[in-house]
Amino acid sequence: MTGQSSYVLTSMDRIMNWARANSLWPLAFGTSCCAIEMMMSSMASRHDLSRFGAEVVRPTPRQADLLILAGTIVKRMAKPLRVLYEQMPEPRYVIATGACTISGGPFTYNSYTTVRGADEIIPVDVFVPGCPPRPEALIYGIMTLQKMIKTGEAYGQPYQRRRPITAALPPGMTQAQLQKEIAEFLEAHATIDVDKAAHNNRWEKERY
Amino acid sequence: MSLEIRTLSEIMNPPQTADSPLSTQEYFVNMGPQHPATHGVLRLVLKMDGETIREVIPVLGYIHRSIEKMAEYLHGRQIVHLTDRMDYLSALANNWAVSRAVETAMGVQTNPRIETIRTLICELQRVQSHQLWWGVLGLDLGALTSFFYGFRDREEITDILEETTGARLTMNYIQPGGLMFDLHPNFVPRVKAFIKYFRPKLDEYETLLSENVILQERLRNVGVLSAEDAIGYGATGPVLRASGIPLDLRKQQPYGVYDQVEFSVPVGTVGDCWDRYWIRIEEMRQSLGIIEQLIDNIPDGKFMEMKPAAKLKLPAGSFYLQIETARGSLGVFLQGTGEDIPHRCHFRSPNFNNLWSVTKTAVGGKIADLVAIVSTLDLVIPDVDR
Amino acid sequence: MTDAELFAKLQEVDARVVQLPNCRPLAVEVPVGFLLAFMGKLKSRPDLRFIQLLDHLAMDWPEKNEFELVYQLYSIEHDLLLAVHTRISRESPYALTMSRLWPIAQYQEREVFDLFGILYEGHPDLRRLFLEDDWVGFPLRKDYKDYFMLEMPE
Repeated sequence: MTGQSSYVLTSMDRIMNWARANSLWPLAFGTSCCAIEMMMSSMASRHDLSRFGAEVVRPTPRQADLLILAGTIVKRMAKPLRVLYEQMPEPRYVIATGACTISGGPFTYNSYTTVRGADEIIPVDVFVPGCPPRPEALIYGIMTLQKMIKTGEAYGQPYQRRRPITAALPPGMTQAQLQKEIAEFLEAHATIDVDKAAHNNRWEKERY
Repeated sequence: MSLEIRTLSEIMNPPQTADSPLSTQEYFVNMGPQHPATHGVLRLVLKMDGETIREVIPVLGYIHRSIEKMAEYLHGRQIVHLTDRMDYLSALANNWAVSRAVETAMGVQTNPRIETIRTLICELQRVQSHQLWWGVLGLDLGALTSFFYGFRDREEITDILEETTGARLTMNYIQPGGLMFDLHPNFVPRVKAFIKYFRPKLDEYETLLSENVILQERLRNVGVLSAEDAIGYGATGPVLRASGIPLDLRKQQPYGVYDQVEFSVPVGTVGDCWDRYWIRIEEMRQSLGIIEQLIDNIPDGKFMEMKPAAKLKLPAGSFYLQIETARGSLGVFLQGTGEDIPHRCHFRSPNFNNLWSVTKTAVGGKIADLVAIVSTLDLVIPDVDR
Repeated sequence: MTDAELFAKLQEVDARVVQLPNCRPLAVEVPVGFLLAFMGKLKSRPDLRFIQLLDHLAMDWPEKNEFELVYQLYSIEHDLLLAVHTRISRESPYALTMSRLWPIAQYQEREVFDLFGILYEGHPDLRRLFLEDDWVGFPLRKDYKDYFMLEMPE
């Protein structure tokens, strides 16, 4: 009986992670230039983020589970940002877009207010480099986060600091290649085979 | 001699007075810094009496990146890339403003090709900026469709600009002495195709949003800014023109090749949100007209007049040059001391000066009106804070 | 109107104005004591009518031990630009507010107070603008030191 229940639980974990990954609700949080590209990718019709289930942009953190940090964070914004993050329900994920949120970017030197790296304030899952990152790059970052969530890596563990992953578009990648990859990703990850997923689970194999 | 320096918390927590039990209590509402209708991280502290706004206290600094301090360590060509990130919706006009200030200080003359391309590309970006404003205005007032329409057409211009400048948003294209690159060969045919595509779309915008009764009710006679107040509060650009002052730097102090093209400056009569709305729609038409006049007449010549590695020595003296961006006049102040790094670099941001009229116009209205007012002021907060 | 004509007019207003060399637009310097009266005349004289204050900023000159205040004025009627400079001491950085003439001066002066620490007498609401109320120091002064700030490596 115990074996049965653990079998169900791990499958549930899989299904939950799959559901979470495919219904990310971002918070409309933009401080500067990257916010425009975020709007271009999330809501505008060309780069439709709803293909990834992540288009329901919420204005309040209490309904959101993905915080896309778009733009420079300065000292004065650090406190409100922390409050926003704390208000989001678990599990919550953070994508930091743009050079400013990664390292301070163009405002690293000789600036008395810019926070050099948003991960000094809140834990970040995925960094998306660019100044500002193209919508394709942001979509690539969201795809990376989805893969992380599905493998259980980004599962929100309270008080546990993870190292952020940098999701840069591979150099020399053309738009056609990227579109092909996105199409393959959508095809492969839009459905889940529960039995297969459960049997492929490493933890299960070790047990039996 | 001493002055009392107050703090925001002292204003928001006034000392308690013994009121009569019948008097209403005023309270404070924080709008922002994280609010979808303030276009970024603007924080407005509202003193409310019931549902009526009694006082608006804008609180800034949530994206103050100390650009002016950084500019004291950089030379003219390096300052340009910081200005992209100030008002990112008219990045090219910002580049031009700094380039013009540096060129004027150093006495550099640019050839007609450079000036024509600058004018052309800035007008293209003015259309792009107004498209975004139009889409977001609809979103703020509760109409999602305009957002899709505006962004769909904005993407067309973004593609054209990306082909020539190499970036979608922070272009860094106009440099002191010329341009970063020459025009892409596809630029002229694609711009022509875009004008052909966008003119009917602009009429579609009008049928979709302008003729909507709800929009008219939300905008007409809301946030009336008189001409006197507009001047006193330092408003420029469409905000000032909506109040009935026909002031456009492109006409008054022509720069670039604006003196060779024909266009009219739309001027409002009432100064309410509706005037600010249709002036921007009309400006898009005028900008398309300017582009049409110039696109076939780009003269030949070099695209850079200076050596890219040449040191930019600013002579001793102060220089203040203005450019009409999509939001108003952007002024760049440079104080040179004979070295390549300016002693002081200051930006007169159009958004910073346009913002303060909200303390006048929103008083007595409701919060929903405030959203319409802030939206039609078309603020870009990183430009306010710099 | 050329710069020379405008300067002649300004000398009619006040004979103590000095033209600053190599500036664009025309820049004049006025002693700080006469500044408010001078500005009032600039705004009200019918042949000048500088009714818009475009910009106000300060500059720090530590070697001269002075702050330089700059007012950029614009006359819509006559299409004139003018920069008015004045100098105040660095030890007692007091200036008179222009907010009675131009309401926008209130907010531009708050910015200058925030970044340079110049105190404007008669200002209705002198507070920090961009930085927090408990910020120490005035960052755009040349001698501002901040352990947080990184210097650009050579």
